[in-house]
Amino acid sequence: MRVTHWLVMAAFCAGCAAPGATEHPTATDAALAQSQKKTSVDPAVNPDAAALAEFKSRVDAYVDMHKTLAQGEAKPEKTTTPDKINATKTALAARVQATRVNAKQGDIFTPAVQPVFRRLLAPELKGEDGRDAKAVLKDDAPAPGTVAFKVNAKFPENQPRPTVPASLLLTLPPLPAPLEYRIVGQHLLILDTAADLVVDYILNAITT
Amino acid sequence: MRRPLILALLLTVAPLVSAAQELRLPNKSGSLKFAVIGDTGEPSAGQTAIAKQMVSWRGKFPFEFALMMGDNLYGSEGANDYEKKFAGPYKALLEGGLKFYAALGNHDDAAQTQYKAFNMNGQKYYTFKPQNGVRFFALDSNYVDQKQIEWLDKELAASGSDWKIAYFHHPLYSSGKTHGSAELQRSLIEPVFLKYGVNVVFTGHEHFYERIKPQKGVAYFIIGSSSKLRRGDLEKSALTVYGNDSDYAFMLVEIAGDELFFQTINDKGVTIDAGSIRRAGDVAPGKDVTTQPVVPQSKPSPVQPGPKK
Repeated sequence: MRVTHWLVMAAFCAGCAAPGATEHPTATDAALAQSQKKTSVDPAVNPDAAALAEFKSRVDAYVDMHKTLAQGEAKPEKTTTPDKINATKTALAARVQATRVNAKQGDIFTPAVQPVFRRLLAPELKGEDGRDAKAVLKDDAPAPGTVAFKVNAKFPENQPRPTVPASLLLTLPPLPAPLEYRIVGQHLLILDTAADLVVDYILNAITT
Repeated sequence: MRRPLILALLLTVAPLVSAAQELRLPNKSGSLKFAVIGDTGEPSAGQTAIAKQMVSWRGKFPFEFALMMGDNLYGSEGANDYEKKFAGPYKALLEGGLKFYAALGNHDDAAQTQYKAFNMNGQKYYTFKPQNGVRFFALDSNYVDQKQIEWLDKELAASGSDWKIAYFHHPLYSSGKTHGSAELQRSLIEPVFLKYGVNVVFTGHEHFYERIKPQKGVAYFIIGSSSKLRRGDLEKSALTVYGNDSDYAFMLVEIAGDELFFQTINDKGVTIDAGSIRRAGDVAPGKDVTTQPVVPQSKPSPVQPGPKK
């Protein structure tokens, strides 16, 4: 499975910043080192790489769209007025929803990349560390049934934002701001944290 | 008969109460003075009482700012909620010029970073240096990804010989029954702390107060009981130097030279913990020791009441 991690990170980290400066070897350190050797996204070299490259391309397109929309009244700016914070978020969410009115599940987590994410998550949820990760997911979980698994749905504001176990974040392809992963129950979703919207999701991403 | 008895009791108890409400920090001129509060976003009698105590204590110990350990707004985050859960309860402090520096908890929306009164400057993790020789690092422990670790590494590397004080929501060490130690975050964050000599860490998440035995030379405090309290949740362990899960609380902290003094105060204004730690100087860093460890003073200064239980 580690080889899979390296290949995944290779596809994502070619051209990324230098490896982390921490001294302890993490999966990411290893992956970053490996990425210097294997940077091909040629499906003939790595069948998952094409799916991940496509995922990255779709993520980047979303972020570009977000930046275009986050202007004027929808531009987050420092303010002393909570009304302004909420008005900005509401305006931004409305613009994203209008622009992506036809978006559907699988637009970013394409059918080709979904099994790759499942394979990446599975080993991190096994064994002792896996138990810790599951405990974290349970600890900060929103109440069952409160999160709508629907593209463009609002994340419920009166529910905790589930903490994402650090071990999983090091394994999954990094996301640019304002996107973040969240795991709710068995499901993985991408959240636009500025608009508080569900961008896409994989149901039953956790199978262990 | 009853009156002399009451008088005798008053004469006995009054000095004790008075002593418990004394400032036990040096309150030196030129020192850095600040407060620490955590999990503050629940309108409650406890929150009101703590805010009131902060106002009162600021009269005798003029702290310049307050660190917030996250869960700044529980539940909904409409405009009224900012008022009801933060600006209202801390109105007197805000009007008195107190600055708040917030970290995000698992109940907080990222939009809070835009709120000027939280001084996050639009960032989920950030650093600031209020005075020469002391630097603070606010982390987002809800989402510890490689990007944040790299940021922390870079910022700590640039912080030189300053006191390095980190604060965030999830405790890396905890004796709480409900949550316990955040070991996954610890596995990533702690090595960076050790490498660059982080001295002190404040966290919340657990709704109690716990002073942890220094771990690998780093001092840890949990202060997550400034508006919420989870009575009976602290299961004192080998990690615990002192803990309290029966009182709402906040902390006062003073840094003077190489010494840091703390005093933890409950909602009645009674001191429940106090002491000091000292930076012991640079050592060769390793995975079991920070490059600049702290040690508790052999004679805790000025008073260390010890555990209640």
